[in-house]
Amino acid sequence: MSILLLVLALLPIVAGVLIRVLYVPATEGITVTGAHIFFTIDLPLGGLPITESQVNSWLVIISLFFFCLFLTYNLKTKNISTRQVIAEWIVESVDKLVKSNMGDFFMGFAPFITAILGISAMSSLMTLFGLFPATSDINVVAGWAILVFFLITYYKLKAGPFVYLKSFTEPIAVFAPINVASEFATPFSMSFRHYGNVLSGSIISILIATGLGGLSKFVLQWLPEPFSSFEIFRIGIPAIFSIYFDIFSGCLQAFIFAMLTMLYVSGGFPADEYFKRKAMKQAKKINN
Amino acid sequence: MNELDVISVNIWQIIISLANLVILYLIFRKFLFKPVKEIVAKRNSEVMAEYDKATKATNEANELKASWEEKMQTADDKADEIIKNAIEKADHRSEVLLYESREKAESIIRKAKAEAERDKLDAQATIKQEIVGVSAAISEKIIGREINMEDHRDLIDSFIDNMGDE
Repeated sequence: MSILLLVLALLPIVAGVLIRVLYVPATEGITVTGAHIFFTIDLPLGGLPITESQVNSWLVIISLFFFCLFLTYNLKTKNISTRQVIAEWIVESVDKLVKSNMGDFFMGFAPFITAILGISAMSSLMTLFGLFPATSDINVVAGWAILVFFLITYYKLKAGPFVYLKSFTEPIAVFAPINVASEFATPFSMSFRHYGNVLSGSIISILIATGLGGLSKFVLQWLPEPFSSFEIFRIGIPAIFSIYFDIFSGCLQAFIFAMLTMLYVSGGFPADEYFKRKAMKQAKKINN
Repeated sequence: MNELDVISVNIWQIIISLANLVILYLIFRKFLFKPVKEIVAKRNSEVMAEYDKATKATNEANELKASWEEKMQTADDKADEIIKNAIEKADHRSEVLLYESREKAESIIRKAKAEAERDKLDAQATIKQEIVGVSAAISEKIIGREINMEDHRDLIDSFIDNMGDE
């Protein structure tokens, strides 16, 4: 049963590879393009193109869903399995991370942070299977960053609109335009940072691969025909760079995005005012 | 155009991506955090229950141990008392037995002595009679005449009596 769930968790990735092989035409030479568009649904505001990045992020969600089911299948209190150890490790380490960065009030953010880490890291790691990384599409990352922006604003408004508006005039009222600008800069900076890193990683990977191809051609040009076109330097060496640009950079960007989310949300939350207000409300209720 | 530009902003894609993250959040909350939290809480409560049980059992065992030690103490005392009593009883009984046996032995001795006395008297009487008979016959022979048996007997009797007394 658990094996079946694991297979179901891996199946979306296989499906993604199949979709890419069947529907996405191979590109020749160095071309830096966005995601492949499968078809476009007619909607106002430019229509909705169903692209590789959309499909890949759905595949990631399905994969993670089955992975969750796989991890939490048949939990026990005694003689726990390796799956359960992993599940508990994930939950506990994210809980610890959220607690140390956001405090006890925001413990409900743990699944959200896990979701950010999971979808971002998994989307970036899709490149290992030759798939288009959804995180190198600005729209995907922008969606996440806008959601984070909503959360920041929601928690800033928790202590009432007056406190929220007043927070822009700090340290002095003259700073208000700058503060407003920086408020709206947050989602832009977050999304562009993540998107730019992943995209630049894949562009550098392409450049390295083609560059090594050219280098091997240059070195082997004195050989007869079948050997001189054999791109010897493209064996293995791009994989070493890929460890940094795909695995390390992908995981690092996911972690940075999650960290920034935690810091912005908990940093913007006016805890003192909120608890003062809450206490006042409670006192009023008791008086009534 | 079959591919997006490297930077192309589309509001629907942004909304879909936002919704994707919310969906994934809900999935993680429902299918990873909730079951794991539940099982961890359950295990913690089980562990606490086990601890409680263990503490209770230890306390009970200690109580039992104390009571047993007390009982052992009293049992030792009791055993000492019983032994003392038994010794006393045995002493008493042996004394009684000794006394009884001594009594019995004495009575036996007394009886035996009495019997012996009686036998002695009987023997004396028989001997006396015979001696009287014999001496009468002898003296008849020696004197040659019949003597008065009655007088004779008295005489000899007194003689033997005197002899026996000496």
